[in-house]
Amino acid sequence: MNCQPKDFKSDLKPIWCPGCGDFGVVQAIYRALAAVGRLPHDIAFVSGIGCSSRIPGYTTAYGFNSVHGRALPIAQGLKIANPDLLVLVAGGDGDGFSIGGGHVAHAIRRNIDLTYIVMDNQIYGLTKGQLSPTSKQGLQTVTSSLGSLEQPVNPLLYVLSYGAPFVAQGTPADMAGLAAVIEEAIRFPGFSFVNVQSPCVTFGEDDWQLKQHKAVMKSLQSLGHDPADVIAAMRLAQGYGHELHTGVFYRAPQPPPTYDALVRARQQEQAGKALPRERVLELFAAKKKETAA
Amino acid sequence: MSVQGLDYGKLSLQDALDLAVLIEEEAKERYLEFADQMQVHHNPEAESFFRFMAGNEEKHRAELAGRRQRLFADAPSKVSSAMLFDVEAPEYDEARAFMTPRQAMESALGCERKAHEFFAGLLDQIKDPSVKELFQELRDEEVHHQALVKRELLRLPPDSGLNPDDFADEPVAQ
Repeated sequence: MNCQPKDFKSDLKPIWCPGCGDFGVVQAIYRALAAVGRLPHDIAFVSGIGCSSRIPGYTTAYGFNSVHGRALPIAQGLKIANPDLLVLVAGGDGDGFSIGGGHVAHAIRRNIDLTYIVMDNQIYGLTKGQLSPTSKQGLQTVTSSLGSLEQPVNPLLYVLSYGAPFVAQGTPADMAGLAAVIEEAIRFPGFSFVNVQSPCVTFGEDDWQLKQHKAVMKSLQSLGHDPADVIAAMRLAQGYGHELHTGVFYRAPQPPPTYDALVRARQQEQAGKALPRERVLELFAAKKKETAA
Repeated sequence: MSVQGLDYGKLSLQDALDLAVLIEEEAKERYLEFADQMQVHHNPEAESFFRFMAGNEEKHRAELAGRRQRLFADAPSKVSSAMLFDVEAPEYDEARAFMTPRQAMESALGCERKAHEFFAGLLDQIKDPSVKELFQELRDEEVHHQALVKRELLRLPPDSGLNPDDFADEPVAQ
């Protein structure tokens, strides 16, 4: 059975602010899922807390709008328990790189086969416009009336540094490109990360909305970037906050084994070494006698 | 605005009709989404206009789908909705919580112009005369739609000139 994008759309009406970038992101996700060809009941969506974390409710897949910053640990548990599920993780930049920042490194080093989509709007939108970990230095918000003093986190460099085997960026200003990178991330066998520049129409900067994205975005493919070259990917990722590169920064040419594959290999390796059940019971009985005597 | 994975030079009349149906359907669904957004944010005037536009797109879609059915019955389609990106549909960043009916209509007018540009821009690439004829018809249809929206615009009183951002609270997301 072939699914169409609309088969992934739930009946729940999104309550994001009209004009929000997340409307385009969820549309790109529907298209990517239709292209991948898995049925809604084969897919689980886990999110944290925030505007973008409402996404599971807007899809027909299984969904869990979980705890702030804890989407990745929950998703990892879900994938380990049911490796056949396609597990997607969604959240904002605050959820992923502030309160949940510590979990990202561990999801990467375990290389559990998840796709993590971060809707990066450089602000805490849901709570009405406070500084987020990716807010640029100097940004004036309700919590930084004189301008932020801190350097922003660079999500692309962050995940590349921890060895993420698939790293991409997109924007809803280029829906076709965004749907394509999300599809590619889902198909990648291992942890995949997509940073989506999804502007906050209400609290975001007026000069960093989708119209500006359209004017400045540059596809990595058009720059001749080789996604197998991790050093080039890191160099290009340094443009975060100044340039808008779209496409795949890094795709490991030889994807490392996933956690699930390693667990299966370990199980097979240990299977022949396990004692038969009867022998284990004899050992227990002997130990019990010895303790009693 | 784009369509992925189609070679217009090789487009058959069946493909062209399927594409046209999907373009109308995409626009209808987007207008319905916009109407829902306006409903959620208590803007009944803009909601009503977007529902009116969705109704127009549906009429056109049904007419094209009927024609497709008469000519090609249930022959499987080579065109899918996943190939289309905002051909006639308003782009998501066009909507605003406090948009006035005039702003809503101006956004729709922009979409009709965009669709006209799309069909007009393809004519040079089309080889099949029946497809060319269909696309010319669709292009001209968009001019008619523009006239409809302009007529509605003329009926509206001018906007107050006030910017809702200057006096309204931010929309409530949750």
